[in-house]
Amino acid sequence: MSRTIQSHVNSNPNRWERTVPVYGMPVMTRPFQVLGILVLLAFLFSAYRELAGLGPVSGMNDAFGWGIWKTFNIMVLTALGSGAFALGIAAYVFKRTKLHALMRVALLTSFLAYACGLMLLGIDAGRPWNFYWIVFPWKWNLHSPLAEVAVCMSIYAMIPLAIENLPPVLERYYYLQPAWRPLIKKTENWLHSWFPWIIGLAYMLPAMHQSSLGALMLLAGQRVHPLWQTPWLPFLYVWAAAFMAFGCVAGSTMLCCLVWKRPLDLEVLDEAANITAWLVFGWSALRILDIIYRGQLHTAFVLDRFAGVFWLEMLMVLGAAVLLRRSIKTHDVRAMWIGYVLVSLGGMVYRFSPTTLAFRPDPEALYFPAAIEVFMSLGFIALGVVGFLLAVKKLAILPAPTQAWLDMASYARFKRPDIQLTGYFDSKREFATSNQYD
Amino acid sequence: MSITRRQLITSITKGGVPAAVAVTMGSKALHAESEPLPNAAVALLYDATKCIGCKACVAACAQANDTPPDVRRDGLHQEPYDLNDLTRNVIKLYKPTDGSPSSFVKRQCMHCLDPSCAAGCPFQALHKDKETGAVLWDSAKCIGCRYCTITCPFHIPRFQWVGFNPRVTKCELCQHRLAKGLKPGCTTVCPTGAVIFGPRTVLLDDAKKRISQNPGRYYQDRVYGEKDNGGTQALYLSHVPFEKLGLPELGPESVPARSLRWQKRVYEYFAFPTLLYVGIVQVIRKNFKGYEEELHEEEKKTGLRAQL
Repeated sequence: MSRTIQSHVNSNPNRWERTVPVYGMPVMTRPFQVLGILVLLAFLFSAYRELAGLGPVSGMNDAFGWGIWKTFNIMVLTALGSGAFALGIAAYVFKRTKLHALMRVALLTSFLAYACGLMLLGIDAGRPWNFYWIVFPWKWNLHSPLAEVAVCMSIYAMIPLAIENLPPVLERYYYLQPAWRPLIKKTENWLHSWFPWIIGLAYMLPAMHQSSLGALMLLAGQRVHPLWQTPWLPFLYVWAAAFMAFGCVAGSTMLCCLVWKRPLDLEVLDEAANITAWLVFGWSALRILDIIYRGQLHTAFVLDRFAGVFWLEMLMVLGAAVLLRRSIKTHDVRAMWIGYVLVSLGGMVYRFSPTTLAFRPDPEALYFPAAIEVFMSLGFIALGVVGFLLAVKKLAILPAPTQAWLDMASYARFKRPDIQLTGYFDSKREFATSNQYD
Repeated sequence: MSITRRQLITSITKGGVPAAVAVTMGSKALHAESEPLPNAAVALLYDATKCIGCKACVAACAQANDTPPDVRRDGLHQEPYDLNDLTRNVIKLYKPTDGSPSSFVKRQCMHCLDPSCAAGCPFQALHKDKETGAVLWDSAKCIGCRYCTITCPFHIPRFQWVGFNPRVTKCELCQHRLAKGLKPGCTTVCPTGAVIFGPRTVLLDDAKKRISQNPGRYYQDRVYGEKDNGGTQALYLSHVPFEKLGLPELGPESVPARSLRWQKRVYEYFAFPTLLYVGIVQVIRKNFKGYEEELHEEEKKTGLRAQL
């Protein structure tokens, strides 16, 4: 095992070996402050919405009962935040071990997307005080896709996903608070022994609620355009979430590496690109075969907005997949990044369509979000971004070569001589020895 | 002889897999299959050929439900545009421009035998009454998610968009009046008997008798709601095509039965998810062990603390 690691080190100096905080950077930057103001605005508007009702703050109406809070912040953004699910399954079930380098970014983005989405879901509900029924399982309507989504999403975000995000936090306090070390080690041991059961739950629950998000629109029947309305909708939804999540996690990691000047490990990114491309090819094949089987292919060649949206989705995801495949060969990082962004965007349009773009209420009606509605939607996205910016600077989230950790250790030695970041000092384990870099 | 953990898991799996498969495949799809039509199922029968569009039922409905009249159109007359947060019952006019027959239509909840709104309602706020079969709304359970406005194939439930305590408004067949032995408000005032109230079986026979006595009068010689969408408790007779009156052709199978068959099967007693969970954890346990060893190797090599 160690020989393979050695060979990687030699062949690839950029190998992402550890996650390292973005150290020595101020948190309170100008973009951070602007985002913070957006968050505050969203909170103020939320208070107003609770008093005034949904009508005055949103463009929702009797024909479009659901606005962008549900259809974008939940349907679309939790799909982008399915990284913990998609990368986790690839790494832990299908043994794509290189993806472990991206795991902490995936877990963090998932947690933030779900937490912010669920907050907005609570504000979107007209009678939120009745949410207390969620603690009485015998009151659930188990066959309702929406009950499944509500129950499963909250359990997922609050239990397995939150626990999966514990290690970076524990790690921070392991170094900062030497007095807490026994307790932290105890927690880590407990975590390690139960980890398979926890992450198993963290893969079951998203599979359930991401597919149920698709099943939601099954009940809408003919009101969803036949290019989208299919019995396979739940399956296509969870599949789309998988490739969107790969695009989001890899794309945002690349962006962070650009912003904070970290090397890119193309071995990991190629692996992710390859998986993403094949997920897209499989998904597109299933989708088109299903449309042909249902005899609805002709609706894709009619000149209307539905066909337009359909081709936009397909061209975006397939173009992205081709771009990703090619960038693996050419090592064109820019093309790869565009591929990741495009695959996410295409998936976002797909997940947005059945509820909004391809939703045909009878009688025909229009929905366009109101200004406050958009501000609140953006505010809760900003909350996620603020959380991300804070977390990558305080916790070890972003991947880097081991050298980055050692650089941080020297930086810390200068700034905070009381913290020791190198050296593995666990007396109980036999391999705990002095470290070679000190 | 003691049982090891492995033996226990193996034997549970051996029994569990067939049990889960049996539960998943054997579960019923229709609400109406598992819960038969109540004996006291009541219904409305609306005959579009008799309706003169006087809208007395609209006013009577608002009065019976203690709702202020919807005068938002001109500030003077009770003239709702459509069903809305103040209107459970509305009379609409279908008038084609080519001179073919026109018709009024009374729209209110169809009280489906297998209602989509109740199938989708997360905490059973919308539910079917055990005795009368009316689809009722419970304010103590509704979270205001508005899923019912998406799922109803007849587009009936309406949400109150203004105010901090919004309600879902739909015809509940005047449940409070039925309890007192009174008929629903709309059926008490109709001057021509276009809408009548009674047991569903009786009204269905009545409707069929009207069709046989007046051959050629009714569209397709058919009672809308006898089998449509799995059967409804609001029955319609009309001389113009039903789609023109906003009653879509949904087929004899209800929307939830058709679309949620697999959703229902997969989650029946949670058998299938449990099976999948236990299976996936076994794979993860094996792979996680390998990954942990890899982490320790690297820890030894670099002298830096491993990161999970």
